[in-house]
Amino acid sequence: MANTGLNAKKTTVDRPNKSMLRRTLILLTVCGIVAFIILAARLGYIMLYQHEYWEERAISQQTRETAVTANRGGIYDRNGNALAVSASAYNVFISPYEINKYGESADYIASELSRILGISYTDVIEKSRDTKSWYKTVATKISSDEADLVRELIKEGPSHDAEGKEQKGLKGVHIENDSKRFYPYGSLACHIVGFVGAENYGLEGLENYYDDYLEGTDGTVVRMQSSNGVEMLYGGYENFNDAIDGATIHSTIDVTVQGIAEKYLHEAIKENYIRDGGMVIVENVKTGEILALANANDYDLNSPWDISDEMREALELIPDETERRSELAAMQLEQWRNRAVSDTYEPGSVFKIITMAVGLEENVISENDNFYCGGKLTADQVPGRQTDLNCWKHAGHGDQNLKQAAQHSCNVAFVNIGFKIGASRFYDYIEAFGLWNKTGIDISGETSKGAWWSRDSFTKPYDKSSLAAASFGQTFTVTPIQMINAVAASVNGGYLMEPYVVSDIVTEDGEIVYRKEPTVVRQVISEETSKTVREILEAVVGEPEGTGKNAYVPGYHVGGKTGTTTKTVIQAATDQKVYMVSFCGVAPCTDPEIAVLVVLDNPAPQSESGIYTSGGVMAAPVVGKIMSEILPYLGIEADYQNGEEEYIDVRTPKVVGDDMRTARSKLAERGLSFTIMGEGGTVVDQLPSAGSEVAVGTKVILFTEEAHVDSEVEVPDLTNLSSAAAMRILNNVGLFMDSAGALPTNDKIKVSKQSVPAGTLVPYGSVIGITLVDNTELGMY
Amino acid sequence: MARYDKRKDNTAAGVAEKEPRRREPRVTLSERITNAERRGPIDMPFFILVLMILAIGVVMVLSSSFARSYFLRADHDAVHFFRNQLIFAGVGVVVMLLVSIVPANWFRRYSGMLLLVTVIVLIAVLIPGIGQVRNGARRWIGIGDTLTFQPSEIAKITVIIFSAHLACLYKDRIKTLRWGTLPMLALVGGLAGLVILERHFSGTIIVGLVGVIMMFAAGTNVLYLGGLAALGGAGIAGLILLTGYSSDRVTAWLDPFADLQGGGWQIVQSLYAIGSGGFLGVGLGQSRQKYLYLPESYNDYIFSIVCEELGFVGAVLVLTLFALLICRGYWLALHAKDRFSSLVITGITSLVAIQTILNIAVVTNTIPATGISLPFFSYGGTALLLQLAEMGVVLSMSRDIPMRKPKKTEGDAEK
Repeated sequence: MANTGLNAKKTTVDRPNKSMLRRTLILLTVCGIVAFIILAARLGYIMLYQHEYWEERAISQQTRETAVTANRGGIYDRNGNALAVSASAYNVFISPYEINKYGESADYIASELSRILGISYTDVIEKSRDTKSWYKTVATKISSDEADLVRELIKEGPSHDAEGKEQKGLKGVHIENDSKRFYPYGSLACHIVGFVGAENYGLEGLENYYDDYLEGTDGTVVRMQSSNGVEMLYGGYENFNDAIDGATIHSTIDVTVQGIAEKYLHEAIKENYIRDGGMVIVENVKTGEILALANANDYDLNSPWDISDEMREALELIPDETERRSELAAMQLEQWRNRAVSDTYEPGSVFKIITMAVGLEENVISENDNFYCGGKLTADQVPGRQTDLNCWKHAGHGDQNLKQAAQHSCNVAFVNIGFKIGASRFYDYIEAFGLWNKTGIDISGETSKGAWWSRDSFTKPYDKSSLAAASFGQTFTVTPIQMINAVAASVNGGYLMEPYVVSDIVTEDGEIVYRKEPTVVRQVISEETSKTVREILEAVVGEPEGTGKNAYVPGYHVGGKTGTTTKTVIQAATDQKVYMVSFCGVAPCTDPEIAVLVVLDNPAPQSESGIYTSGGVMAAPVVGKIMSEILPYLGIEADYQNGEEEYIDVRTPKVVGDDMRTARSKLAERGLSFTIMGEGGTVVDQLPSAGSEVAVGTKVILFTEEAHVDSEVEVPDLTNLSSAAAMRILNNVGLFMDSAGALPTNDKIKVSKQSVPAGTLVPYGSVIGITLVDNTELGMY
Repeated sequence: MARYDKRKDNTAAGVAEKEPRRREPRVTLSERITNAERRGPIDMPFFILVLMILAIGVVMVLSSSFARSYFLRADHDAVHFFRNQLIFAGVGVVVMLLVSIVPANWFRRYSGMLLLVTVIVLIAVLIPGIGQVRNGARRWIGIGDTLTFQPSEIAKITVIIFSAHLACLYKDRIKTLRWGTLPMLALVGGLAGLVILERHFSGTIIVGLVGVIMMFAAGTNVLYLGGLAALGGAGIAGLILLTGYSSDRVTAWLDPFADLQGGGWQIVQSLYAIGSGGFLGVGLGQSRQKYLYLPESYNDYIFSIVCEELGFVGAVLVLTLFALLICRGYWLALHAKDRFSSLVITGITSLVAIQTILNIAVVTNTIPATGISLPFFSYGGTALLLQLAEMGVVLSMSRDIPMRKPKKTEGDAEK
């Protein structure tokens, strides 16, 4: 059938004509080839030629960029103790728009958040009213525990879905990551470490100075998002621009040394009724590394905006709100002030170290020259001066060599040295010792220079009054850091070092991006001169004649120079004497390692405090105590000389169980004597117990029959007794003595303090500490 | 006879085994498809090209629709559109094969009925209650949401088949205005007019364009066609000017960035997608523009996602497949057994060509937006079904193409 049909049609088939075929070919060419070539070309133009243009625009539309906060680098002391670290913290923000949109209760949110975070209920309510806003921060830097509670609240809080159906899960409260700075040591080294502001920018100290290194680079997470703001399911393009964490700072500060320095600074301020605070700097004289630097006006780095209680009390007395606010700001600035590098003071007699060094270096004086002091220089002897220039000892020091002049801190002698040097040369050396410029210490806020004369006025030939005053450190000012650095240069062989507090900065990957090697700015004086200077400084502390006796530490060759000045400016303005007392010590003078400068600002007058106002009385013991603790800590070997052992403390050995012969030799080894209680041949008990620190010569009680009976004795009053008298009295009541402070080289050295107040009951055989001080006619200048 | 035997050898070894019995051969469905009524086999290149394009198209529906489907559907069913499209594609392939069994002359035999049905549904859809309104236009008809179709889709094939019929009817007077031009013009104009009543701009364009191509292919006088083209051009221009709807599209075409949040949004998003693709694309499934940026990402603008994901290489590959399909279509038309088949294949091929070209021209902002979907790619069940059925028509007619070798001299001699 089909076949026949096919055959039948074949004969009558209606074939397309030629024109039709031609037209179909045209269609084929146009619709099948040409059009597609055009389209392909068009695609090529858009996809290849314009690719970047479109891609860039598309990506900018598709991506949401979120910042990832870089962790701020830590700050560590020289032994790796963390001074500043960053930890995760969280911010809470509300989205009033979503609160409104999903019918969430602002009241509920505000009361819950204020309950959890202790924030203001009204503040949250207030912020929730702005229903156009998606972002209102209500709490910052909350801890992760608090954040967990807020997350719980977000999860469980009542809300509604888009259709208004009730649903759990707040949509209008959000948590974002942040980081918070912690300062594990609180106020320790606060002026060095500094702190950060709300935005994690360093505001003070190292945090500010090295902010660029510490802050790191914030990263971004670029996420593809749908047009409706939801993250793409998958396949979305994500680009993590990793946050580069800030680098870690390794500081030269030693928290132990810093702690010791701060402890004694505060103690000295309390004991000496110092009214305007003080500063202490501990510097390695060979390298310029700062081991400790503290100001009495310290504050807790974890709450730097909080002022001290006294300040707050003073503040509350101010009635006016605006005034109070500005006063608060002033007080905050005051407590943040790193006075050791930002403030200047008149160095006073400490500066005589420099005068002496210059005189020796320029060979205008020698150690054996005679520096006669008749008690004053008359106005005629000092061209340009209206009044006589008195030495602090009005009777005069008489004939003295250079060492004695230094020990006496004789002004007349040093003015004469200054005259021999000459104004111009003197001025040159001031510059050379770096007192003219910033030391370059890497802490924020170093001031360039204090009050000084211009070279012209200083070197006027007819007026030597400036030179005269400068010779003993008065009427000009330097910063404490400049002073200690100049002293360091004068004892370390003559090299002015650049002081620094950061030794290196290391990135997260261990790459060292900053390293500070000890930097010699210049050699100011010769090694030889430097050696002479240190010998003389050691004599100032170590010899009975010296004004610096109170800084003495047995075995460590401590040298130094006292300083006591009145603040010239204030004195001129108010006719009141406001003192500044200081002491700069170096040790060991055989080969100096450490310099310690203590400056105490405005001690109460002697009439109030009963303490003679001088650097030797007030500041030198501080340096001595600091030295006595830090030198052994820093591993500097003691080198006892000239029977110093006589005065040092020893630890009692354990002799219990020993026979008498062994006990005797053990005790004798340490310079201890003993008495025996009982008739036995073996020691059964000892007082003081093994390991107690006692003064050499202490009589240890050995019990050979039975152990001592526990009983209590009353501590006697030892004040103003000599060392020997004190030990006798203590031994009489069955107590032992451990002494510190000046060496009891003569009868003038008295007990100034005892570790347990008189009248206290202590166990029989206890060790009572005493502090010895040469409290008489000490060098005032 | 020889041809018959030869074809029998070709079919399968199984048939050869049964040969000794010499019983009446039982014709299976697959035999009917490949070898029905002793007609030739379907044209395999054309058939395979359709399947290839369809396969890529269905995959692209999945890729381009899941974000929208997930985010915008209440049930978050990410594969909703893909599943529908897959079902319709499967059914469509079966329908295509079934249609390919239909004797080619049936299409002509029932062309009158087809026209009648078309006119009825075109009118019916306008009646509220029968026609469904979507996107503000009443142009869908059918049951429920999925089993609906646009009568304008049927109008496209009706124009092709009936104008081919008319062309054959008046083949001797085809150059005359009265017989060669006016009847077909009336048909095209009438159907286009009905489609335009549905406010179906793109449908009207396609019906009109296909009509013009049919007249051109049938041999209508080029002068009349030229006049008609001028008239049509003026008509389109008038339409654009009269209805603000369309003139907005022209504005958006000329400067898509002028009204980014409004008329320009879609085309800008499309260009972002295409431009992002670059040479190799962002990878299959990796499109970002489909995340609710590009409206109709799985529909009219699906090709933009193809470009974004598969890059220039992939886009050109797809273009090439379409071009090959179209060229093969015209090749089949050139070799068709008779005038009617040739004209119908030309029409259907041109329909695919027009839609493809216009769609891609729109998404690349080469011409103003028209709302024409991409054949085999764009989501739309019944439209896909119809397209595959149309391919079935072509395949049916391809069976009657005489085998080249034996007929080589015969065909030439006939002319």
